Amino acid sequence: MAPYTNIPLSPAELSYLYTSLSQTPPIRPDGRAPTQFRPLVAETDILPSANGSARICFADGTEAIVGVKAEVEQSRVSGAATGQVESEGVLGLGTGGVGDVDMDEEDGDEEATRAGKGEEGWVEVAIEIPGMRDDDALPVFLSAMLTEALLADGELKDRLWINRRFHWRLYIDILLLSQPLSYPLPLLSLTTHLALLSTRIPALISEKDEDPLFNDDWEASRFLYPQSKTASGGHRKPPVTLLMLSVSENVIADPSREELAVADAVVAISVAPTTGLNAESAYKTVALRTVDPPSRLTGAGVPTALNTTAGGTSLSAAEALALREKDQGQTVWRPPRGGVKRAMIAKMIKMVTEKGGVGQEVLEGLAGVET
Amino acid sequence: MPLDSSSYSLAQFSTQAAADGSSYLEMGQTKIICTVNGPQESKRGGGSRDQSNAARIETDISIAGFSGVDRKRHGRGDKRTQEMQHTVSSAFSSTLFTHLFPHSTIAIAIHVLSQDGSLLAACLNAATLALVDAGVPMSDYVVACTTGSTASYASNDEEADPLLDLNGLEEQELPFLTVGTSGGEDKVNVLIMETRVQMGRLEAMISVGLDGCKQIRGILDDIVREHGKKALNSRVN
Repeated sequence: MAPYTNIPLSPAELSYLYTSLSQTPPIRPDGRAPTQFRPLVAETDILPSANGSARICFADGTEAIVGVKAEVEQSRVSGAATGQVESEGVLGLGTGGVGDVDMDEEDGDEEATRAGKGEEGWVEVAIEIPGMRDDDALPVFLSAMLTEALLADGELKDRLWINRRFHWRLYIDILLLSQPLSYPLPLLSLTTHLALLSTRIPALISEKDEDPLFNDDWEASRFLYPQSKTASGGHRKPPVTLLMLSVSENVIADPSREELAVADAVVAISVAPTTGLNAESAYKTVALRTVDPPSRLTGAGVPTALNTTAGGTSLSAAEALALREKDQGQTVWRPPRGGVKRAMIAKMIKMVTEKGGVGQEVLEGLAGVET
Repeated sequence: MPLDSSSYSLAQFSTQAAADGSSYLEMGQTKIICTVNGPQESKRGGGSRDQSNAARIETDISIAGFSGVDRKRHGRGDKRTQEMQHTVSSAFSSTLFTHLFPHSTIAIAIHVLSQDGSLLAACLNAATLALVDAGVPMSDYVVACTTGSTASYASNDEEADPLLDLNGLEEQELPFLTVGTSGGEDKVNVLIMETRVQMGRLEAMISVGLDGCKQIRGILDDIVREHGKKALNSRVN
């Protein structure tokens, strides 16, 4: 799943980088603290033709634009819909409002009517990366990861429900404008987060199961992620997916291209603010994936004992293999093998979700972006 | 007919650090980001080296799904997009000094973020700015604009003035053409018309278009010089 295979670093450079990142505290090539994010430029609401949009430029020059568009679509009448209480089915045919309980007077009630009625297929994420086809592995994998995180809270798809016959279909189009210099997941995820925060949907003025009619006043439109406070006092926000990597015992946030090249393990963690009342922490993990680190594709270094030009002896293949295994990457670079320890994953999640952690830093930073 | 220069208020240079040259252009509600990479050795694999003795110009236009009123995905094989890519490449082939860069490629990537008429013209203008930013030697700017004719046969108003720089709605209703020139109004690089119009009206439309190109050239030139001054000042200080 590595976006690039030609890492321009020699085994000696990789070994040096690995060693300096394994120090306590780790020494990063750009002098950052382990959990420090690189600066970025962001703006939202940039496109008039989209419901919501955002643009982010990272410090390394990579840039992404996300446009969110919502369209009304007729719902498929499924078995689940008819399986509801019978009297409601009668109401749906328009025979009158007998026994009709007015449920959508308040916001909270409206949320309740919608709960569980959304479908996952109503959110569509498409990623365009220059020089890659739509069905290449990287765009497909990235969009699957982003969709998974967006749907994880279960609230977004319910908010797309209009009535039993119609729903919103949300198209999230992600354009990466520059070549993918490093693994572009955080960039795309942060941009999507901002675009969804700025997404507005026209206010509904028709009632019940009528054909939907919307207020054409854009000022009256409602945010897809309501600005009102949740029970826990926070705001509802779409999740952000962050990359964390481990090098020996250290965990590093927001890895650069060079750091990815020596990673033992790379984990994509999606974090969102908690909405429930009795939450222990203000942030929670909604999705988690391990990413195949590009370090696996680097070439191994040659131990001095094997290097004939440096006075080494030429050994048989079995002896050379034994020597390499015995060395275990102590003297020369060896691509990392194996998985990641559970304790390490727990450490990464804690760094992202804890108070004052990486997740909070990023989400609060993005909340400060003005249109 | 004077061109509404306020609609060109947003044209920016060097918007993206990762590319050799880049530009952002707004023509009314048509918004375009253009990046240029190159001249560089062609990345096309396959072993055989590019034996040409002039640089090849490769244009890639991607029209975002959210750019129009309705969400629509434009695949890479879209015929209209392919034709526009070819038009942009061929428009620059005679203006860029491609013979200075044998065995190489100049890659122009155009991203259409929002479209409201004059799409091809905006692509050409944005590509010119990005190529200037990339420092690719060229004899002159390639500038383009659209003109449409309001004259209808029934009312017989032969003298009706053609319109300059149409928006999306006007393009749907009126016959229009896109004209692109370089070197003032001396040389026409692009002339494309996909609608029907009476032969007699064509000449007036083209001449208005040429006049429009001249004005756009002035606007682009101001932008380039402004950017150059800024770059020089920051170098001195």
